[in-house]
Amino acid sequence: MGLDLLPRPNPRGPRIGLALIAIAVVLLAIGSYIGLFRAPPEHYMGEVQRIMYVHVPTAWNAMLALTVAFVCALVFLFKPSWKWDARLEAALEVGVILAFLLCVQGSIWAKPTWGVWWDWDPRLTTTAVMLAAFLGILALRRFVEDPIKRATWSAVGTIVAFADVPIVYFSVRWWNSLHQTQSTPETVDSAMVLPLRINAFGVLFLMVGFLMLRSWLAQRRLAQELAPPPETSRPSTSEERSLASTLELGGDAR
Amino acid sequence: MTGGVVIGGWEYVWAAYGITFGALAAYGVSLWMRVRKEARAAREEQG
Repeated sequence: MGLDLLPRPNPRGPRIGLALIAIAVVLLAIGSYIGLFRAPPEHYMGEVQRIMYVHVPTAWNAMLALTVAFVCALVFLFKPSWKWDARLEAALEVGVILAFLLCVQGSIWAKPTWGVWWDWDPRLTTTAVMLAAFLGILALRRFVEDPIKRATWSAVGTIVAFADVPIVYFSVRWWNSLHQTQSTPETVDSAMVLPLRINAFGVLFLMVGFLMLRSWLAQRRLAQELAPPPETSRPSTSEERSLASTLELGGDAR
Repeated sequence: MTGGVVIGGWEYVWAAYGITFGALAAYGVSLWMRVRKEARAAREEQG
């Protein structure tokens, strides 16, 4: 079984991750510059609409990261391997960070346009539930010490929590929501498409770069956690083994 | 807001961009520092 093998983090992983992050920084700088200073203001929302150039890419990539977590959870359960558990941990963490930023950006955008920081409308409520559910799974991973139980429980939890992700996406179509329907390059003015596309790819590269670094760290930690104890700490003589077994049974060796 | 049109609002735009990129930069730096520390440990393990 794959769980018998220790994870072997790819030594090139961090370099590839860093290269992707460097590309993301360039893309986000260009996309944000165009979005902030070159794209026209929206007719009704004026300058505030410029939040869209970070809000929409964050939303897409938060859902994508959580979809990656869902896929990793499924693969782990059907073909157990520590590398999938490490990837699951990475995708959960990156997805939660993006989902949290999504809520903060949405709240900042809501204040000048809706007059409130928060409203319990279907889109916002389902997003808050999604964030809380995946945050709970990350907390679960912190509390469970047994690596096999931790990996299995968090994989099952991820699959259950993922049921909310399509609900978040379709909530604005299924219910009468205060939140507008999805913004895509097809639904916004052509002058707004370029910064939206560039920032979408920027956040995508950043997300994948973060996933690679975080997954490498998770594999390193798992390798240390699962490594057998050093030979020197094992009892060698029959007398030592007898003493060790007495101690393990809770008896008094003296 | 005047007649259904939002006037101004740059402070909200800067807040959204500042929080987003500030948080992402902080997370990226924390990841990079942890990776550097682990990479150094890995090199030491290999001798």
